[in-house]
Amino acid sequence: MLEPRFESALALRGEPTTTYVSMREITTRGMIDLRGLTSDRKFMAAAKAVLGFDLPKAPRTSNSFGDVKVLWLSPDQWLVLCAREKAPSLAAEFAKATENTHALAVDVSDMRSIIRIEGEGSREVMMKGCSLDFTDADFTPGYVRRVRFAEIAALFTIVDASTIDLYVFRSYANYAWDFLLKAARKGSEVGLFNGR
Amino acid sequence: MTGKPYRLTEGGSRIDRNSRMTFSFDGRDVQGFAGDTVASAVLASGQKIFGRSFKYHRPRGVVGLGSEEMNALIGVGADARHEPNLRATQVEIFGGMVAESQNRWPSLTYDMGAINSKLSRFIPGGFYYKTFKWPQAFWKHVYEPIIRRAAGLGRAATGCDPDTYEHMHLHCDVLVAGGGLAGILAAEAAAKAGARVVLIDENPVLGGIADLTAGMINGECAADWLKPTADALQMMPNMRVLSRTTVVGHYHHNYLMAHERVGDHDPALLAAGAPRQRKWKIRAKRVIMATGAIERPIAFANNDRPNIMLASAARGLISRYGVSPGTQGIVFTNNDDAYLTAFALQKAGVNVQIVDSRARPDGDLVKRAQEEGIPVSLSSVISAVAGTQAVRAVKIAAYRKGQGRVITERKVDCDFIAMSGGWNPALHLWAHNGGKIRFDDSLQSFRPDTHPDAITAVGAANGTMSVAETISEAQAAGEVAAKSVLKKAKAAKPAKIEVKEPKRGALEPLWFAPATGHYNEGNKHFIDFQNDVTVADLELAQREGYESVEHTKRYTTLGMATDQGKTSNLNGLGVLAEATGKTIPEIGVTTFRPPYTPYSFGAIAGALTNDLFLPVRRTAVFQWHTDQGATWEPVGQWRRAYTYTGVGEEKHQSITREILSVRNKVGLLDASTLGKIEIKGPDAAEFLDRIYTNTFSTLKVGRCRYGLMMNELGFLSDDGVTVRLGEDHFLMHTTSGGADRIAAWLEEWLQTEWTQYKVFVTPVTEQWSQFALAGPQAREVLEKLEPDFEITNEAFPHMSFKIGKLGGFPVRVYRISFSGELSYEIAAPAGYGLSLWQAIMEAGAEFGIGPYGTEALHVLRAEKGYIVIGDETDGTTTPDDVGMAGMVSKKKTDFLGKRSLEQSELKRDGRKQLVGLLTEEPNDILPDGAHAVADLKDKPPMKMIGHVTSSYMSPSLGRSIAMALIENGRARMGETIAFPLAGGKVMKAKIIGTVFYDKDGGRINA
Amino acid sequence: MLLVTCPVCHASGDETDFHFGGQAHVARPATSNPEGISDEQQREYLFTRINPKGLHFERVRCDRGCGKWFHAARDTMTMEFKAFYGITELPPDHVIKQAKGAWAEYFTMRMKKQK
Repeated sequence: MLEPRFESALALRGEPTTTYVSMREITTRGMIDLRGLTSDRKFMAAAKAVLGFDLPKAPRTSNSFGDVKVLWLSPDQWLVLCAREKAPSLAAEFAKATENTHALAVDVSDMRSIIRIEGEGSREVMMKGCSLDFTDADFTPGYVRRVRFAEIAALFTIVDASTIDLYVFRSYANYAWDFLLKAARKGSEVGLFNGR
Repeated sequence: MTGKPYRLTEGGSRIDRNSRMTFSFDGRDVQGFAGDTVASAVLASGQKIFGRSFKYHRPRGVVGLGSEEMNALIGVGADARHEPNLRATQVEIFGGMVAESQNRWPSLTYDMGAINSKLSRFIPGGFYYKTFKWPQAFWKHVYEPIIRRAAGLGRAATGCDPDTYEHMHLHCDVLVAGGGLAGILAAEAAAKAGARVVLIDENPVLGGIADLTAGMINGECAADWLKPTADALQMMPNMRVLSRTTVVGHYHHNYLMAHERVGDHDPALLAAGAPRQRKWKIRAKRVIMATGAIERPIAFANNDRPNIMLASAARGLISRYGVSPGTQGIVFTNNDDAYLTAFALQKAGVNVQIVDSRARPDGDLVKRAQEEGIPVSLSSVISAVAGTQAVRAVKIAAYRKGQGRVITERKVDCDFIAMSGGWNPALHLWAHNGGKIRFDDSLQSFRPDTHPDAITAVGAANGTMSVAETISEAQAAGEVAAKSVLKKAKAAKPAKIEVKEPKRGALEPLWFAPATGHYNEGNKHFIDFQNDVTVADLELAQREGYESVEHTKRYTTLGMATDQGKTSNLNGLGVLAEATGKTIPEIGVTTFRPPYTPYSFGAIAGALTNDLFLPVRRTAVFQWHTDQGATWEPVGQWRRAYTYTGVGEEKHQSITREILSVRNKVGLLDASTLGKIEIKGPDAAEFLDRIYTNTFSTLKVGRCRYGLMMNELGFLSDDGVTVRLGEDHFLMHTTSGGADRIAAWLEEWLQTEWTQYKVFVTPVTEQWSQFALAGPQAREVLEKLEPDFEITNEAFPHMSFKIGKLGGFPVRVYRISFSGELSYEIAAPAGYGLSLWQAIMEAGAEFGIGPYGTEALHVLRAEKGYIVIGDETDGTTTPDDVGMAGMVSKKKTDFLGKRSLEQSELKRDGRKQLVGLLTEEPNDILPDGAHAVADLKDKPPMKMIGHVTSSYMSPSLGRSIAMALIENGRARMGETIAFPLAGGKVMKAKIIGTVFYDKDGGRINA
Repeated sequence: MLLVTCPVCHASGDETDFHFGGQAHVARPATSNPEGISDEQQREYLFTRINPKGLHFERVRCDRGCGKWFHAARDTMTMEFKAFYGITELPPDHVIKQAKGAWAEYFTMRMKKQK
């Protein structure tokens, strides 16, 4: 009787056919919010021991190995991405490995909803909602940044030239989805510069 | 002239004579060609009047050629799609378009409001200020409604706009505003050097007024020479050309706002999904302002009659649309440029003669006029215009500079006038964000000077009127701009350009042309056509002491309204200068404000309308609440279920049902919106001691404690229960509305004040769904949920928590209560939220569980005297004010707000204190915010001694209850105080303690 | 729309991606010595602020970015940012030299204390 049933924030929303980019929710990704000081060698080593690779130190970059990816959020904060079912145990591993140093690892797999925006116009659609320059040379695969998108806080990663993952807080997922439906409406294509 | 009277048989670079279309203007079908504007098509049909003026309701026609138009304002679109106040000279026609004139009733040719014109000697400048001052009450009820009906521009749309709008951000190296000769060449130079360039132009085609300019470039006329370059720009990979787009504002650090009319000209685009308009927000590293210049009218008697237009407009009508304003024209000028209009008219077969105020003009164009046999009257002005609805004739008078009266004059028949008082650089954008301007004697106008941002002006916008100089200036500016932003700019190989242009004679200022008869006797010299401001108005303002140009502007309305003084500003300054004996620079200028041309609210709102207007936050159970008939209470951006109204139930009934269910059985509340913040580190406990008024370092692991927070002013800012997860690890709960604010507050103090603390703060509000299971049977329900931990009162007492499982659900369960009942707050990851909620409802079914909403929660907590931050506190309320001084630590040496509590104001006697209230009449519910008075009188003023903070009908007590902040409230126990209400009603209530229900707290600990 | 650069993560963005935090370099008296703060001192701390025409120093948070607080030196007339610097730092020397009036006095006092 008491079987938990997972339901994502956008479970009731179908993939749209009215947009000039494709949009879908990614629900299989686990997320761990990891806090520690870049300057704390013990912490950095402990994190590496758990991950098998270094935490990214450069702002707005990410590192990955296998199915685990780490996004830089701040000089003392990272978002670790892994398979959803693996998140609780990985969070526990972090907690154990950093027992003797100043750190905080929290499983936040349910805190954000992820919308994958795919297609030629994905960067342009993002520029309808936020003030960044998505044609910037830095915006290469692995680039990560927190922004104000439409009227809400968001986080995005560049997956490849035409794919962007947009992370929004779960309670805002429907708002973000509705905004994207309108911004990416077929017929509202803008084009940026003639070259792209 | 053949066919339609004013459409020439040949010419018209903008129109496609093979594509005819019909639209409606004031209900009349008008024929036009693709490429026509409403102005050109209506003029071609023979109609001259486009509207009535703002104040005097004088008939008015087209004056300008593009965005400078101030008279021919029209409304376009029917019903919900209607947009008022568009310039007929810019609106492109399409088949089926519906357009209408404005500010006329009942019709353009017969207008009731025109009586104002007959009365005009009684409506001088400042008229409104003088006449409608007294009595005061008349303004709102009599004067304003009448004035609003009589004076005004277009009407608003009816209904909800069916079209979509959007915003778009863009970043570029160089933004070029204006796509004329200067703009195109600057953009080309910058792009060829490798810069990323955005070129923005308000017209449907690039080129500016190159087609109306004299001079040959490499043997071709300027427009023909320019076209291949303009076409090539559209193909450059590092270029974006935005046509039908106006740069409406320039803001700090080269941030620009542009307004693109995407689908206005073509309904097919809208049907295909295009937004009607798009607002661009552009950050440019450099800006090149190539906005051109705007021709000045001349202030002569009755210079506002229909078919008196700018010389450039007449020239443009012929060359672009093949439309002649008439058959017999006068060109009235003080400069050489307008001679080009005379040549164009002559070439089109229109009779024309020139009236030039100058005595000895010596430019090449003047000589050419003589060669071509065009009659020129030198040292002459137009001193009178005959005709009201159209020009019939003029009087031409001899003129000497500075002359005030007409001595000799002669009558000449004509049906239109083309006037030119010189050209003003369009420096609006320059001035929007702090650019300085300076007066140029040869232009008799202002031109750009210095600017704090990286912006350059080129071409006519910079006061450079020669073609050759414009070309070199624009190309250099483009190259310099690119070099300044690129690490490595490509070397430019400028092609050789040879320009032949006429030598121009000097312009002589003409701010006022003397009139036949006494001046201002039935002949008005208009300065600001849109606001009906005349030379006489400006002089009157001077005589009445409005010496500052800013005061004159406000008193007379000169340069206000939608055109922001495009054609009137300088002429007004010229008049003021002559009236005061000062120079124009001494007079000074008023501020040009954005937008350059008005744009729609739709474009300003962009996509953020209806459901997107304000983000709405949903909990994991949102859909369930909706399905169960919940009505909503907005809490911050959250929507919380207010109450679940069943079939046939009123809201007050469902609220009562929900309350009694919690008091007597068990209820379930979605409390997921509560703020949750993880706080961890060796200094976490000490940090919390700094943040809260009470102490958290003494809290035992596994236990919960309610805490109060103050800001540094000593006022309550938030409250909630914080639990100790581990020795150095806490989980803080905040109010729903305070979650983000408090997380930021904690970060701020850690980063800026106690930087030595090793503490991490991670907000986790959204990770958890959290439900309050409350009521005497809550434990039985919890038991049924298969906890893997002990839940007896001893093993799991009030203010403790468990981490474990309920069946398969990973949960944290906190035994805390905001209802006064036995209560467990059960938290699970949000993805499991809905299924956990359903499982609890199912487990509780046999105990009669019911969901309860926020209103029931508020009544439950009020019955217990629990405060709500924001209800019982208002940002000036201390812990002692709400009777919680006991929660302010005396031992801790420092925490936020502590020192401020010692300030005299916060310690003084007579502060308002929180009390409970029982109305004399148990069914009377005091209104929220009702004020108590010291002595009840028949009418105000009465001394107010406090106000109601919360007030409800309490089903548990079977009567109304309230809480209030009352001066010295705690010393007034048992006193009855009065609340005078609207309509003369008075409620009286007895002051008691704040706890109404279960005073000893037995139920919570059960 | 000001263009702001965070000195911590070096991201540039519109001012709407940042959070303005009022005047910089306001010392909280209770942190160093919670006892013996006069009413006047507390009032100064809570309410008295410098409001110059020209160079000014303010606190800003990289609100939508790395989340860190920092300082900005801004000319209130031209809106030009003269420097962005760390939240625990003083402005660069060449910017301090441009400070006038109350700010010049403040930095002179701070420099003396440091020596």
